[in-house]
Amino acid sequence: MKHTLEMKNIVKRFPGVLANNNVNFTLQAGEIHALLGENGAGKSTLMQILYGFHAMDSGEIWIDGERVHLGSPKDAIALGIGMVYQEFMLVRRFSVVENTVLGLRERGALLDLQRASEELKELSNRHGLALDPAAEVGSLPIGVQQRVEILKLLYRDARLLILDEPTAVLTPQEKDHLFAVLRKLREDGRSVVLVTHKLNEIMEIADRVTVMRDGQAVATRAIGSTSGQELTRLMVGREVNLRAEKSIRKRGAPILQIENLRVQDETGHEKVRGLSLEVHAGEILGIAGVDGNGQSELAEAVMHLREIKSGRVLLNGADVTGLSVAKHRGAGISYVPADRRHVGSVTEMTVADNAILGLQRKYTRGLFRGIREARESALGLVARFGIRTAGIDFAAGKLSGGNLQKLILGREIMRGSAALVVEHPTRGLDVGAVEAVWGELLRAQQEGKAILLISAELEELLNLADRIAVMFEGRIMGVVDAAGASVEEIGLMMAGIMPGSAPAAAGPAQEARHRETL
Amino acid sequence: MFVTAFLFLSYGASPWQAYYALFHEPFGTLRGFGYALVRTSPLSLIALGTIVSWRSGFAYLGFEGCFVLGAAATSWLALLTGPGERVGPVSFFLFLPLAILFGFLAGGVWAGLVGLVRARLGGNEVLISLMANYVAIFILQYLVGGPMRAPGSLPETRLLPRTTWLPFILPGTRAHAGILIAIAAAGLVWMLLQKMPLGYEMIVTGFNAAAARYAGIDVARRILLAAFFAGGLGGLAGMVEVLGSQHRLMDGISGGVGFVGIVVALLARLNPLAAIPTALLYGGLSVGADAMQRRASIPSSITFILQSLAVLFVLAFDALRYYKINLPGFSPRTPPPVADEASR
Repeated sequence: MKHTLEMKNIVKRFPGVLANNNVNFTLQAGEIHALLGENGAGKSTLMQILYGFHAMDSGEIWIDGERVHLGSPKDAIALGIGMVYQEFMLVRRFSVVENTVLGLRERGALLDLQRASEELKELSNRHGLALDPAAEVGSLPIGVQQRVEILKLLYRDARLLILDEPTAVLTPQEKDHLFAVLRKLREDGRSVVLVTHKLNEIMEIADRVTVMRDGQAVATRAIGSTSGQELTRLMVGREVNLRAEKSIRKRGAPILQIENLRVQDETGHEKVRGLSLEVHAGEILGIAGVDGNGQSELAEAVMHLREIKSGRVLLNGADVTGLSVAKHRGAGISYVPADRRHVGSVTEMTVADNAILGLQRKYTRGLFRGIREARESALGLVARFGIRTAGIDFAAGKLSGGNLQKLILGREIMRGSAALVVEHPTRGLDVGAVEAVWGELLRAQQEGKAILLISAELEELLNLADRIAVMFEGRIMGVVDAAGASVEEIGLMMAGIMPGSAPAAAGPAQEARHRETL
Repeated sequence: MFVTAFLFLSYGASPWQAYYALFHEPFGTLRGFGYALVRTSPLSLIALGTIVSWRSGFAYLGFEGCFVLGAAATSWLALLTGPGERVGPVSFFLFLPLAILFGFLAGGVWAGLVGLVRARLGGNEVLISLMANYVAIFILQYLVGGPMRAPGSLPETRLLPRTTWLPFILPGTRAHAGILIAIAAAGLVWMLLQKMPLGYEMIVTGFNAAAARYAGIDVARRILLAAFFAGGLGGLAGMVEVLGSQHRLMDGISGGVGFVGIVVALLARLNPLAAIPTALLYGGLSVGADAMQRRASIPSSITFILQSLAVLFVLAFDALRYYKINLPGFSPRTPPPVADEASR
């Protein structure tokens, strides 16, 4: 079979890191090829070399039997290579067609939007993208914006599409739509590289998969001849058990109670609209939902990091609604925020100093800081939670995402709070770190903590949570037992559709929501 | 230094001679060293104020204002203790703590007002503090031109009573005890920032206000406190200058020290312990510049160029340190919006 693309012996060295070590990668016409690997395995580097973003140190790239030189993304685009980043490169105020022709000069000085629109409509229909060229991009849901990115590439007639973590921001239904589009592209004879660390998606859609570890391509397999187990082992380099062992436990007394909470965002939009929840001792209550449906605002309001318009937050039956953040912490609520690097830690300060963030008034000796005690506790955290660091006097910002998360999670768990609010604990982490974080959350649960777990990953919620509450537009659409939950049911609720009710009712509301949040 | 050497050449003077004059006077003669210490004291206090406020994320630039108000407050207090005044002579050991308190409060409250605007109303402290300087300087002009004016033609107060002067500490020089106050202040600032939970909270606030709020730190109050401390130190600088060196309050007493002190703090990389040596170097250079002007007849503004170049090089060095790894072709990651983290 003829290879569309061959990357041979690619070597890319960054200062102190061998990002790509003799990587070989082939891509055939009409194939969906997954590139799997942990963070830092070198898959993004490889794709950026292919897109002309980085110059490789040595190696060869062949396209259709011809050796090519990729000096910049411009060269790559000219060769029919296109890339969809995780963060979309769209001008939100522009329409779909304006975004698509942006940067193209082929038609001379004058824009012919009319003709472009018609071509787009035709392209969109042919590939099942269902896009209106005249729609303003900013008003479109995330999943549709992603399709605009794909349309942009098709308009440039890209034959090789690179998608970087395309499903990270999608609901299950949007994901299905994306996959349908990808299959159409495959039928069309185009090739797709799917950069991801989600195994189930690879098994679902890819034809072949190349696994990268520590800068090397360790294996390429046809999907039919491999298993999720094998891929995980190849990716991590050891056996991983990601099926969390949930032991049977009794639900304790309610610890954290949220009553009729109403919260606004900075622009005055109501993001939490009369929400009530109860988290019991020894329970993990999961909050599912697409990002931007008020989950962050909920978490911040519980800690009183955000003003509460009305409603109450109770801890162990005592009203803590109006108390300061410090008093919330004192009363026994810990919080692991979504933004590890900008909220959960001070990246400029040392690991030791970060280990006492929020506890600075606890480690004291009279008027002074108990620096030795703080250091001891930092060393304890590093040992107990297996944080890989060169030492506790190194800047916390130098830690990898997983290790930084372990530091923050460990700090919040070790405070001995009764309730723990955790927001997107494994976002962007690799499998090994996810395993560690999940283990620690379950351990905290065993110790009887009440845990409110906010996550956009259904897999995470299904694995960890006892009950899953689905949040949509600031309200709880429903609470299901994780044991008997179906992904479809939760997915529908995430999209604002009550199972069994007419979906039309949620349509306009959903669009309005996206206009607010995007 | 090398660059400035060329400037000397254009005046027909040997760079070596010029540099000899520049450094020999302040650091080779007792008298010159005394003068250097006189200039060092207010400079280092202002630098310390800068360190407290800037490390807390409060970009305060209003030290000129704090300086003149601190000087005015202590002058007023000192004049009250003059013979025949309402209070009458008091012991220096009673007067000094009171003077420190007055100087500190005058500057602290002045800067605190700016802090209040920033913390409660979200105003921009850079602009407000700069503008506040002018207000303070006009207040000073009003005071020395009106209520506190001594009979005579110049807008200045009477000479302060001798009992209120800071003692001279090096026989045969003008060096006064202000430098001791500055050293003590440096120790206290270091202790606050490095050893006390309050300082930890202020530094966290300075680095990352979102993380500070998350950690239960009252960001508004920490900023207010930082402004108060910073302004207080600026006020102390005014007190030291008026009680140690000028011995009377006059228009233009600050001579721009409120800005030079900020430069000193930057050169000391906001490290309180490095502030005093840096201020000494800076103060010494300005004393040496005067000597150089007298002996080699090179304008003292050349020294100002030298000092400015030093600042530029320090800042440029920082930039080089940060950006070296990003030279084209070596760049570990040109800012791509990609989730992968290269360093694990």
